Amino acid sequence: MTVAKIKTKVEQELADQFAHVSGKLPGDASVKGARQAAIDTFDAQGLPHRHIEEWKYTDLRAIVKEALPLNVGDASAITIADVIVALGPLQTIDAQRVVLVNGAYRKELSSTEAQSGVTITPLSEALARGPVTAKGFGAGEAAPADDAVLALNAAYMTDGAVVEVATGTEVERPIIIAHVRAGGEAGFTAARHVLRVGANATVTVVEAFVSLPGAAVAGQMNTASEVDVGDGAHVDHIKVAVDTGAVTHLASWIGRLGKDSAYHGYHHTQGVGLARNQMFVTFDGEGAEVDLSGSYLGRGKEHVDNTLVVDHAVPHGTSRELFKCVLDDNARGIFQGKVIVQQIAQKTDGKQMAQALMLSPDTEFDSKPELEIYADDVLCGHGSTVAELDEGLMFYCRARGIPEDQARSLLVQSFIGEAIEVVEHEQVRGAITAYAEQWLEERAARSS
Amino acid sequence: MLEIKNLHARIEEDKKEILKGINLTIPTGEVHAIMGPNGSGKSTLAYILAGRDDYEVTEGDILWNGESILEMNPEERAIAGVFLAFQYPMEIPGVAGLTFLRTAVNAVRKKRGKEEFTTPEFLKVVKGRAASLKINMEMLKRPVNVGFSGGEKKRSEILQMAMLEPTLCVLDETDSGLDIDALRIVADGVNALRGPDRAMCVITHYQRLLEYIVPDKVHVLAHGKIQKTGGKELAHELEKSGYAEFEAA
Ligand SMILES: Nc1ncnc2c1ncn2[C@@H]1O[C@H](COP(=O)(O)OP(=O)(O)OP(=O)(O)O)[C@@H](O)[C@H]1O
Ligand SMILES: [Mg+2]
Repeated sequence: MTVAKIKTKVEQELADQFAHVSGKLPGDASVKGARQAAIDTFDAQGLPHRHIEEWKYTDLRAIVKEALPLNVGDASAITIADVIVALGPLQTIDAQRVVLVNGAYRKELSSTEAQSGVTITPLSEALARGPVTAKGFGAGEAAPADDAVLALNAAYMTDGAVVEVATGTEVERPIIIAHVRAGGEAGFTAARHVLRVGANATVTVVEAFVSLPGAAVAGQMNTASEVDVGDGAHVDHIKVAVDTGAVTHLASWIGRLGKDSAYHGYHHTQGVGLARNQMFVTFDGEGAEVDLSGSYLGRGKEHVDNTLVVDHAVPHGTSRELFKCVLDDNARGIFQGKVIVQQIAQKTDGKQMAQALMLSPDTEFDSKPELEIYADDVLCGHGSTVAELDEGLMFYCRARGIPEDQARSLLVQSFIGEAIEVVEHEQVRGAITAYAEQWLEERAARSS
Repeated sequence: MLEIKNLHARIEEDKKEILKGINLTIPTGEVHAIMGPNGSGKSTLAYILAGRDDYEVTEGDILWNGESILEMNPEERAIAGVFLAFQYPMEIPGVAGLTFLRTAVNAVRKKRGKEEFTTPEFLKVVKGRAASLKINMEMLKRPVNVGFSGGEKKRSEILQMAMLEPTLCVLDETDSGLDIDALRIVADGVNALRGPDRAMCVITHYQRLLEYIVPDKVHVLAHGKIQKTGGKELAHELEKSGYAEFEAA
């Protein structure tokens, strides 16, 4: 089917803006060529809309009304103390820190440590030498080549972190990549990170999306992270998006797993006006294991979409997904999980579950778990539930003297806690729990 | 003193009447046992005492120390001293037992005008009480009741009771599912709480529990009414004769 190509105002603005800013974007000639190719791909697609199956519930063409000016080379006067405050509960993690303010890598605010086997380079510097990808990518890359959101990112990306971990290196302290949104001007940030993790290496990377007090209410964020997990490597990749406001937050993760590797990805989203987290993971070596899980808390008119595609392209892979969603007021939650098991991918073990808890009758949860199985000797399953708070449990708590509000918070924590428990790093888990508690406290304060 | 006066109650949902005029008085300082056939309404009575809203009281009243508790919500009753040890204790995944206990204990202490426990104080008290119930602290770090055996659940109910220091203790079949040693541990825990300021209502099917927790009175609840009241020897008689004599009239 061909859809008549009539550009919306935003699509036109995005194309025009590219023509204006492309000269200022980092990269050598071949990067510039790739950017042009990407904007052409975007041009051909336009913004994703509800007639595209993967975007059925998140119609960006209808939602995004204007193209905000791209943030390039931001130099806002910000101190380390500001960053620490903005990080909230995440500041308690004993970690190395990469700081991006409005999409610009800020070395003077970052605190990475010298460890042999680990290098962290600003993407803008790396692009000057040529295109940067995580590609050890083999066949069957799960990310669609024509995804318009990824194309926009590839065209506009201004900066980010390139993290390389050499074979056998155990990175002791987690690396936090902090995206700080600052300043009263609403802008569009496009960032990209590339994680290349060598064979048998271990690393925990946390992407944080936060805002400083006084940051513009609105903002647009398009980030992408490419992750190459080497044979036998173990990567914990966590994202905490708590960038509150009328922010449009589009995040894409693309992962490739080597033989016997493990990739544990986690998304925590709360307070974001519109969030779309899309994850594309491909098994490229046998015996690998993936866990993609997440928690999201929505209120007001927030719209949070977690969409994943896991491609079992080789035998003996294990995948687990558990997403838990708490919805209040008029919030909308979406889960789309597609697990593909290719014909040769025998002995695949895949399970996914999405659960929503409704705290108000006016919320909506759309869940679409999908299994596409072409192999015959596999163990796969999926499920999805929507529930309200259990009255019996409420009574149990209250019979112990716990006031109704507090009992409700406790049970929401109980619900969401089952997902958060998946996060292996104790301090990171603690910080996410603390964020969820904040959300619940704010909720209790509003209702009293 | 607990006074239940001509209590009629039905299930909110289907309006089925379960309690059909219960009259029962338990003075403070006394332990009363309630026995009766399956489905006779014992748990219903226990839930109504604790304030569960699946039931509707259509007639009568419940007075605790002279005041009606019917208009009180469950947490207010807990603060007033009512505690129900559940026949089927509930599991709360993702919430550590210690967190749950501390939340409950401090909520109740605050409302009773006592200082809230600091974390060290709380841990010290829990450790002591848990030890006497042979509950180890590792168990309390796990989510509330999740994966506990039947007997462990019952012991954890008694720990909650000990921590909340209630004055009206309602124990719904706390003995069922316990092995002989656990039964003794639980009974010791309950006996330790006996005192002149407390009233206890022990629901059970077995005379054995009443050898450890010796009741002042035994009541038979059948068909929604107290059919007979006697001393502890009544439990022995029931063990032999069953409930045939209380067949529906
Ligand atoms: N919430 C409810 N909804 C429907 N029926 C109920 C409910 N609660 C109790 N009942 C019914 O009320 C009756 C009394 O139940 P209850 O649990 O009080 O009995 P019991 O005396 O505790 O029995 P047991 O000795 O088996 O524990 C039963 O017929 C039961 O099925
Ligand atoms: Mg019962």
